[in-house]
Amino acid sequence: MTTTASPRETPADALSEPPARRGIIDTDVHPNPRSADEIRPYLPPQWRKGFVAPRRPFFHNPIHANRLDSTPPDGGPAASDPAFLREQLMDTYGVSHPILVPRTFCNIHPNPDYGSAIAAAYNEWLAETWLGTYNYDGAFKGSITINHHDPLRAAEEIERWAGHPHMVQVVTDSGARAPLGQRQYYPIYEACERHGLPFAIHPGSDGIGLNIMPTPGVPTHYIEYHCGMALAFQAHLLSYLTEGVFERFPTLRVAMLEGGVAWVAPLMWRLDAYWRALRRDTPWITKPPSEYLRDHVRLSTQPLERPAKDAHLLSLFDAMDAEHILMFSSDYPHWDFDSPTRAFPKMPEKLRNAIMTDNASALYGL
Amino acid sequence: MPSHAIARVSELPPGERKIVEIDGRSIGVFNVEGRFYALRNTCPHQGAPLCLGALGGTAAPSRPGEYIWEREGEILSCPWHGWEFDITTGRSIFNPHRTRVRSYEVTVHPDEEPDPGVDSFPVSVQDGVVLLHV
Repeated sequence: MTTTASPRETPADALSEPPARRGIIDTDVHPNPRSADEIRPYLPPQWRKGFVAPRRPFFHNPIHANRLDSTPPDGGPAASDPAFLREQLMDTYGVSHPILVPRTFCNIHPNPDYGSAIAAAYNEWLAETWLGTYNYDGAFKGSITINHHDPLRAAEEIERWAGHPHMVQVVTDSGARAPLGQRQYYPIYEACERHGLPFAIHPGSDGIGLNIMPTPGVPTHYIEYHCGMALAFQAHLLSYLTEGVFERFPTLRVAMLEGGVAWVAPLMWRLDAYWRALRRDTPWITKPPSEYLRDHVRLSTQPLERPAKDAHLLSLFDAMDAEHILMFSSDYPHWDFDSPTRAFPKMPEKLRNAIMTDNASALYGL
Repeated sequence: MPSHAIARVSELPPGERKIVEIDGRSIGVFNVEGRFYALRNTCPHQGAPLCLGALGGTAAPSRPGEYIWEREGEILSCPWHGWEFDITTGRSIFNPHRTRVRSYEVTVHPDEEPDPGVDSFPVSVQDGVVLLHV
């Protein structure tokens, strides 16, 4: 039987359907496998034996790497139990969609095949578990991890997952051998653009393995390294905005996760000023660089800078057009978690909704 | 100030802690080598359950390049962002005058009615009651 329905004849059950949940979208959440053995089966045989749980070889956090209260009741690593993550993050704060960003450290390895195999294994694992068996309600959204040291293989990996209903972006580390706006990375951006997938950058492997430090030399202390993570994001952003990446890829969107936000406006003031003087150096930049940022780049908020006076932060929010470029993130279960209810100063409702939900909703189509 | 019996001494041995709820307030009671302390279980920073944090020592202010570890067992650091608090006073280490968490008095009340024991094995320490004064 075929039926045609005019708006007047909409079936009753469709009318009673609840509106889509408009909760908080948390754009930086880190699910973990219970152990390296959970990843191992997804690796090709030649890599299985040697694979160990990824970890930075130095710059270990002197207090703790994860919230101490994030260990699941039945044991295992933080954020390895989906029911407990739902309880501690989603139920407690009204998060409707955690955007899952596995920490794979796939970019540190000298062998590009091994790095890409680790990325692919985590993608398989994420799709089967958090985006599969754990995802009965579709709340979890995931990221396609790629090894940026092998851009052609990375583009293939994007092709492999594009179209997956819960993979909403591509992600890699801010730790790199070169600023990410350079042309060797363009196969990655072509693939992202082809499939409408935002490209996300997350810190953690800066200066480790193949990746160079964003500082002149290697910092000494964890606090120095951790605070300096924002430097890599500034370098990558300058690269995107001067190389003309958004002229070559006019629909590409970049999500900068956990790279800090308070520096954005002053850096854009500086870049816009230099562009007016030095326009001929990069003549493909046809408007003030900050305008490309507003159209193409989004930044996650954690760890949010909190000056002594809230007015100072709100003033920087205004200067950077936070209402259009910031997206909330908690970094759950990491130690420097930002609480949705406590991390921010009091904000006008429109600004708050934009940061907590609307900007991420628009970027990820949620 | 009302007092609340929250445990027997034997139920809260040195190194242990107990989180209790008194009049809607969550409070952590700690036994540090036989001395009892209690702090509000809410970090003033972002509201984390402070009393689930690690209890250890800390590095005293020192000259550059010098590490002096001190006060082992007396420094509670928040389970989220690691802010350090003096378990004996509730004052933070980085700004004791402005950043602090409420602390409460804890006393041990002698047990008036020891268990009917076996006469030939007298106990030297009675199992008192830990009282939290809120």
